[in-house]
Amino acid sequence: MSKQSLLRLAQADWFGPLVVTLAAIAIIRGFSPDFLSPYNIQTLLIALAINALIAFSQMIIIAIGQMNLSVGAIGGLAAIAFAGMMQVWHLPVALAAILSLLIGIFCGALNGALISATGISAFVITLATLAIYKGINLGITQAQPFYGIAASVKHFGNAALFGLIPMLAVPTAIIAVALWFLLTRLPIGRFILAVGGNEHAASLSGISVRSVVILAHAISGFLAACAGMLLVARLQLGQPSIGDDWLILSFAAPVIGGAVLSGGHVSVVTTLLGVAMVALITQALVVFSIDPFLVQVVLGLLILAAVGINRLRETHLIARRA
Amino acid sequence: MLRRSMPRVMRALLVAGAFGCAAIGPVYAASDTMVALVPPGPHPYFATWKQGGADAAKAFGLKAADFKVPQQWQLSEQNELLESLLAQGYNGFVIFPGDPVGSVSTVSEMVSNGAPVVTAGGCLKDPSDAAFCLATDTGNSAYLGTKQLIRAMGPGKKRILHLTGFLADPNTQLRIDAVEKAATESGDQVVQVIADIDAPEPAAEKVNAYLAAHANDVDGIISTAWVPSVVAANALRKIGDKRIHMVAIDTDQVVLQAIKDGYVDGTMIQNPYGQAYIGAYAVDKLRSGCQVKADAPFKSNALTKKFIDSGTAFVDAHDVDSYVQTMQDKTKQLLSTFATTYLTCK
Repeated sequence: MSKQSLLRLAQADWFGPLVVTLAAIAIIRGFSPDFLSPYNIQTLLIALAINALIAFSQMIIIAIGQMNLSVGAIGGLAAIAFAGMMQVWHLPVALAAILSLLIGIFCGALNGALISATGISAFVITLATLAIYKGINLGITQAQPFYGIAASVKHFGNAALFGLIPMLAVPTAIIAVALWFLLTRLPIGRFILAVGGNEHAASLSGISVRSVVILAHAISGFLAACAGMLLVARLQLGQPSIGDDWLILSFAAPVIGGAVLSGGHVSVVTTLLGVAMVALITQALVVFSIDPFLVQVVLGLLILAAVGINRLRETHLIARRA
Repeated sequence: MLRRSMPRVMRALLVAGAFGCAAIGPVYAASDTMVALVPPGPHPYFATWKQGGADAAKAFGLKAADFKVPQQWQLSEQNELLESLLAQGYNGFVIFPGDPVGSVSTVSEMVSNGAPVVTAGGCLKDPSDAAFCLATDTGNSAYLGTKQLIRAMGPGKKRILHLTGFLADPNTQLRIDAVEKAATESGDQVVQVIADIDAPEPAAEKVNAYLAAHANDVDGIISTAWVPSVVAANALRKIGDKRIHMVAIDTDQVVLQAIKDGYVDGTMIQNPYGQAYIGAYAVDKLRSGCQVKADAPFKSNALTKKFIDSGTAFVDAHDVDSYVQTMQDKTKQLLSTFATTYLTCK
C-alpha cells in the first residue's frame, strides 16, 4: 500500500477508533489467551449487539443536535411490555414484538412532538418523559420481573449461527446497515444531519424541522425498543430495571466514535467502534481482576485515553494538512 | 393494564402463613396506622414486601400498609419519596435505607414527626432514630453459603468467584468480608470479586466475560446478590458446565429451576416477607404506645447494635419446593415472641 493510500486511510473518521479497538484486542489477547475463545467472542458480540442499538438510539438524536435522556426508560418500557404481553396476555411473540416496537416508536415520537410543539429543550422534555415512562414501567410491573418468556424468544437469545455468531447480532447488523443507508444515501438522512448542523439554514432550505425532529425521536424510540427486546431474549426474563444503566453508554459510544454533540455529524461505523471499545474495556477490567472499588475509576480513565488518542490523531492530521 | 401476579401456590402459602401468624400475634392496633414499606429502588428481592404489608394490614387491622417504590436505586429519590409519603399522611415506615449513613437524617425527620421507623433488609449505622433493624444477617448468610459451596466443591484447595451487589449497599462489604473469611478458614482462595452487578446489563456482560476467560480458573461461584445469581445460573446452564459448583442467593425462579436441574447446588434464602409483615406489625405497636425494651436481646452487626435476624437458610435440590414453608416457619417463630422479647407495651 502506498504512503498516500495510507494517509488517505488515516484521514477516515473510523481509522482512529479502529486502530484503538484492534490494539485493545491485541493487548487483552496477549494477557489472556482465552480472550478470543469462541465463547468469549460470542459474549462480546452479544454485548455489542445490544449496546450498539442503545448507542444508535442516542446517536440519531445527537445527529439533530439534541439529546434523549429517556432512551433507557423507553427501552425498559418496551422490554417489560414485550415480556408482559407474552406472560399475561399470552400474545404470540410476533404480535408482542410489533406492539412493543410501536410503544417505542410512540414514546419517541411523543418526545419529538413535545419538543417541537413547545420549543422547550430536549433535555428538559426527555428528563420529564424519562420519569413518566419509568413510572409506567413500575406501575405495570410493581418492580417485579416477568418470567413468562416464550420458548422461541429464549432460544433466540441463546442461539448462534455456525456456533459462533449469536442470533442477537443479526437484527443489530441489519439495523446498522439500514441506519447507515438512511443517513448517507436517503434524503431524510441528509435532512437529519442538516437540521443538526444548522437548524435555521435547514428550515430556510425548505426542510420541515418539526417533522425531522419527530421522525428522529421516533427512530430513537424504535431502536431503544429493539435493544430492550433483545435484552429480554438474552436475560430470559423481563426485568423492570432494564434500561436503568443505558444513559452513560448511549452517550459514551457515539462520542468516543467522534460524534459532534452539537449535531450535524455522526457515523454508524465509528459509533459501532465506540461501542466495541467500551465493551472491550469493560471486559478487560473483569479479565484483569481490577479491584471492584476501582472499576469505575479505571473505566473512566480508559475511556478518556481512547478519546484522547483519537483526538491526537485528528489534530496531527489537521496539522499535516496545514 | 398488565398486572404482575405471583405464582398462585406461593401466594396461597403466603396468605395461609399470614393467617397462621395472625393467630399467634396479639391483635390490638391503632386503627389509623398507615405504614409505608419503602425499598431503596426497584428490585425483585422486595417482591414479597407488598404481600407482607397487605397481609399485616389485614391481620392487625391497620388502615394501610402500602408498598411504595422509588423509581431508581438512588438515595435522593428514596428520601424525596419518604418525605412525600409523610406529607400524604403515612405515620409509620418500614424502610430499607438507601445508605446506612445518608438515610439517618431522613429517618430522624420521620421520627420527629411522630412516625416510627423500622429498618428492614438493610440497617442504618448507629446512632440513629430507627427503632431497630430487622434484616438478614448478611455476613452470616454469605459465610454459611460459602461454607456450603466449599462442601459441594469437595476436598483440596479450591478457587472461588464471588459475585455481589451494589457497592453502595451497606451489606456488600459485609458479604465480601464474610466470603473471604469462610474461604480463608478452609484454605481456599477467592480469586475474584465482581461487584456492582445487581442490574441485568452489567451482570450479563461481566459474568459471561469472566466465565469466558477464566472458566477453567474457578471451581466454584458464590453469588450474594439476586441478579448475578440469575445471570450466573443461566450462564452455567448455557455452557453446560456442571464442574463449576455454585451457591446462589434468594429465590428467583431461574435459580430455583437451575437447582432442580443440577446447575446450581443451592441457594441462601432470605425472609423479605417476614421483614415486611413483622416490620409493619412492630411499627403499629410503636404507634400504639409500645416502646422498645432497653434490655432487648438485640444482636449486633457492623452497623448497629439493634439488630434482629429475620432468618436465613440454605436450600438445595431436596427442599427447594418447600422454601416458602421454611421461611413461614421462621416468621411465625419470630412473631410469636416478638412483642414480649423486644417491646414493652402498656
